[in-house]
Amino acid sequence: MPTLPLPWVLGALVCVAPQEAPVEAPPAALELLDHARLASELKALAAAHPELVQLVKLGESRGGRAIEALRLAGKGVQDDPARPAILLVANVDGARVHASAVALHHARALAEGYAGDAGVQALLDSTTVFVVPRANPDAAEARFATPRVERRASGTGVDDDRDGRQGEDPPADLDGDGLVTWIRVPDPDGEWRADATDARALVKAERVKGEAGVYRLWPEGRDLDKDERVAEDAPLDARVDRNFPAGWEAHAKEAGLFPTDEPETRALCDFVLAHPELALVVLYDAEDSLVAEIKGVSEEPSARPGGGRRSTTASEGVLESDAKLLGELGKRYRKATGVTVKSEASDKGSFGRWCYEHRGLLVLATALWDVPLEEKKDDKKAEKKEGAEKPAEGAESKPEEPEAKAGEERKGREGKESRDAKKDDEPKPSDDAKRLKWIDAAGPEEAWRFRPWTPFEHPELGPVEIGGLAPFARLEPPAGESGALAAKHLEWFRSLGALLPRVRLAECTRERLGENLWRVTAVLQNDAYLPLQTRAARRAEALRPAKVTLRLPQAGQRLGGPAHEFVEDLPGSGGRAELTWLVQGPDAMEIAVVVETPNAGTATRVAEEKR
Amino acid sequence: MLALVLCLVPQEAPQPQGFPGLAAGRAPEVEIAWNRLYDTDALYAHFDRLAARWPGLLTREVIGHSVESRELRVYTLHDPATGPADDKPAMWVDGNVHGNEVQGGEAVLYLAWYLLENRDTNARARELLDGCVFYLMPSVNPDGRASWFARAHNAHSSRSGVQPTDDDRDGLFDEDPPNDLDGDGNIVSMRKYVPGEGDYRLNADDPRVMERVPANDRGIRGDWILLGQEGLDDDGDGRVNEDPVGGYDMNRAWPAMWSPEHVQGGAGPYPLYWPETRAIARFLLAHPNVAAVQSFHNSGGMILRGPGTESYGEYPRADLAVYDELGKDGEKMLPFYRYMIIWKDLYSVFGGFVNWTYEGLGIVSFTNELWNDESQDPQKRIDERDRHFFDDKLLLGAGHVAWHAFTHPLYGEVEIGGFAKDVGRVPPSFLQEEMIHRNALFCVRHAEAMPRVAIREPVVSDLGGGLTAIDVVVANERVIPTRTALARDKTVGQPDVLTLSGAGIEVLAGGFRTDRFRPEQIRLQEHEPARLVREAGLGAREELRVRWIVRGRGRAELRYQSEKARDALRTVELR
Repeated sequence: MPTLPLPWVLGALVCVAPQEAPVEAPPAALELLDHARLASELKALAAAHPELVQLVKLGESRGGRAIEALRLAGKGVQDDPARPAILLVANVDGARVHASAVALHHARALAEGYAGDAGVQALLDSTTVFVVPRANPDAAEARFATPRVERRASGTGVDDDRDGRQGEDPPADLDGDGLVTWIRVPDPDGEWRADATDARALVKAERVKGEAGVYRLWPEGRDLDKDERVAEDAPLDARVDRNFPAGWEAHAKEAGLFPTDEPETRALCDFVLAHPELALVVLYDAEDSLVAEIKGVSEEPSARPGGGRRSTTASEGVLESDAKLLGELGKRYRKATGVTVKSEASDKGSFGRWCYEHRGLLVLATALWDVPLEEKKDDKKAEKKEGAEKPAEGAESKPEEPEAKAGEERKGREGKESRDAKKDDEPKPSDDAKRLKWIDAAGPEEAWRFRPWTPFEHPELGPVEIGGLAPFARLEPPAGESGALAAKHLEWFRSLGALLPRVRLAECTRERLGENLWRVTAVLQNDAYLPLQTRAARRAEALRPAKVTLRLPQAGQRLGGPAHEFVEDLPGSGGRAELTWLVQGPDAMEIAVVVETPNAGTATRVAEEKR
Repeated sequence: MLALVLCLVPQEAPQPQGFPGLAAGRAPEVEIAWNRLYDTDALYAHFDRLAARWPGLLTREVIGHSVESRELRVYTLHDPATGPADDKPAMWVDGNVHGNEVQGGEAVLYLAWYLLENRDTNARARELLDGCVFYLMPSVNPDGRASWFARAHNAHSSRSGVQPTDDDRDGLFDEDPPNDLDGDGNIVSMRKYVPGEGDYRLNADDPRVMERVPANDRGIRGDWILLGQEGLDDDGDGRVNEDPVGGYDMNRAWPAMWSPEHVQGGAGPYPLYWPETRAIARFLLAHPNVAAVQSFHNSGGMILRGPGTESYGEYPRADLAVYDELGKDGEKMLPFYRYMIIWKDLYSVFGGFVNWTYEGLGIVSFTNELWNDESQDPQKRIDERDRHFFDDKLLLGAGHVAWHAFTHPLYGEVEIGGFAKDVGRVPPSFLQEEMIHRNALFCVRHAEAMPRVAIREPVVSDLGGGLTAIDVVVANERVIPTRTALARDKTVGQPDVLTLSGAGIEVLAGGFRTDRFRPEQIRLQEHEPARLVREAGLGAREELRVRWIVRGRGRAELRYQSEKARDALRTVELR
């Protein structure tokens, strides 16, 4: 394993060249583990490294499965319980079982690397790492069940079709291939047509251009309630990743009955609240804060929404100064990992949004992988392109157009063909057609990702075709890539500890103003890249500020300045805060300044006389 | 009919009727002094006395525990002989979510007592206990209530629950509360004599009263300064009383327009964070039959409805008509109370309880703010001297702590004094009963408005060729809809369902008629015509005309099912 110089100093952050990886055997493919196996892996890892790794239970899922974290902390944690911690969470979404594997990979690599790897040692001796590999174990279990279905809902069900019955018409595997895919029904009133470049892909017919629909599209299933709608009322609806309080969508079926109603959601919230030492959240899930450009929102105070007593800055979106930090960190992430996957996930009620908007924690979120829209280029070209990336990104990496609320599972079908089609009349492939092209080119090992449309006699609909993208086709990289993807992410992840704010007393002096009269000056400094608190944290008053205390012996008396000073605005990259006190006392007395923070360490320094 | 006949039979010793309610009537079965306020244990004990006297009608349920492990009690009031509680429309009434706003608890108790005492002699009381159910939670915040009675407080303190909270973000919890320096059980004010250097002076006629000296260029200064509430700088941080017990607001914790602390102070880290609030939310979600909510607070003489914030917009018009009808009756039943909109007429509230019960659950909900002030008239806000007049003349001065000297460790010689904790937000004992009676009876008004569905006599017509039409009117006889417009718009809960079933009957078509005189004007339901689904339910006093076209003979049963009304049934014979 290569090691990164740790700690990185700020200046190096922007200009460190990518590390050349030593030639090694390609990393082994990651194995996807069901709940029982994942739980025993976590247990075994903790048992194998008792001095380094602890198993922490966050809570239980609705289905009674334990939600667990590994806490990795090297020596030094006893000396400073307030040292910063990174929380790595994977698979809040539920379907991203692969992300769980990447998180477990990280935990294992850190645990096993600690003894012999100076880089890992430097990270874990200075920083606590919590890894929650599977935040949503109930939904994840569908990955291992038969039939296989890409399921994100795990909570409270509602009467989706408003017929007074709940959960009576769920998706199902009709053709017995072990997968719940899609049904397309020839129907002149349907809203879908075949992509002109690849008839296997479906695109929405645009009536305004005179296009006619040919198909109706349903999830695979019966019409058990005989209402001419197929698989429209599944028993479960609420999603853990829509159930957080920030941007929660009241009355949306996926949002749950109230924020934190889902036990998994509440367990994550309680964990974050119980750990004020958290300084950074890394999210391997559906959300993204590292690839798509984030436009900051103004930090100017505005009226309280809805008219109220307190004025506040906007409560939605990433504030400008935090967006700047994320922009820089995103650039580094893309360079380190080559990932260009955009998120299609909504941030309404998401974990990342709650962490940032309500708790003020910076969230580095990535969706890790998707079926590429471009054909595979050889690695060198791809690297060059990524390396040459400019702040204004190329058109193909711009965020997708906002799409109507079709389920995430169906979103890819809508793509951006309309925009492309305007350029000239030549039919352009839809995103799904591009994905199919990649799948075709990837060979027989990847052919599972698409189930050819196959005629089927549906008990209610008559002749239909069943097929389309298979469950998890867009979430799980090829076996040959998953190990490398995890390894690159581990390299990147290991580098994060050096970015976290750590306070130190850069100066602590006493200056004689007269007999027995002293001016004490302390300078609080943060050399790391990240500020002591994000702008959002300061807005939300969610974190305790740094508490700076003047420590005097009995003989000393404070004549000026408060017993405690509180500092929350301490920028990164060498940000400073200067504090002074006026003190009366003999030459011989010891004057010290003590800094306590929840998540940026502690420091004590005896004032030296300034002459 | 039977009951009427019995009443006409002369009885030897007619039981005096009309008490409680009329002063010359019989004595109540359970005597409770209504001119007092009771701490948590005493309040619960009174409820238990009622439950012991009427064991079938009033039952106790513990829905959770408070931060200090007190029982969170909900008493269910109805007659189970007339059907299970879940099948009846329900009214939720609570009080005292703010620990200091105590008299709501007595109003909840009074409601139970009054209906129980009158049940055997008053037809309306009986009908309420037969046809409806009340879920009564006398204290949402039993810890705050207990603290307000047992510890030193003023009228406004102990609003919060008691979970330790770091209000000043110094890493310490509840370390700097107000201090009862003179040990008299009241937290009052501190003032200091600073001749010629102050901004207050004593009123010339009543030196108990402090008057602000307006800023001026004539060199006129006061001799006094005010130093805030009785207290010390316990944690030595240069601030006094800045981190009291708790420090949050359980009426900002509900998942309707809920906003975090920096927008809505007291909201907590996420909705329903505190056990008291979560237990109630779970209870209400598990009881979709709740069709009316009252949550008692104090004070100010208000009948409040949402929205809590301007940004919500306005409630659907059909629901506002229901609110207005009840709210305007409330203004008549509660002299000097005003029917108001929270954000517009009071202040913005994010995450309020009655906002959630309506905006989230679709229940017509009010919060009454019990007790105006000593003048009882909102048009004449009283000043401090008026309050002293009232206290001196009507309470022999019992409500005021006379200014007295105290040596304060920081401020030196000061005086401590002011109104006691049970002045300002709760009425004196002689006005208690009227206040709680009127408010409890407003709950009765609200409960009697809950939906009641009737199916009128069906009309059967032979259409020839073996086809029969069944025409029927289903009606909601009350003003509260079976499904509020909000519930309809946001698809809250389950839609109403009207079914026609019968062994020998095949239902060919069915739907709601849109015209009284033209039976062919009908919105046919495409699938399952025997089971008509109605998202909008039955509105305020709404009558719906339904027609089915069937084939066959025999007995058919009609059933209207709604979450917030009892099922209505009717049979019809097709010959």
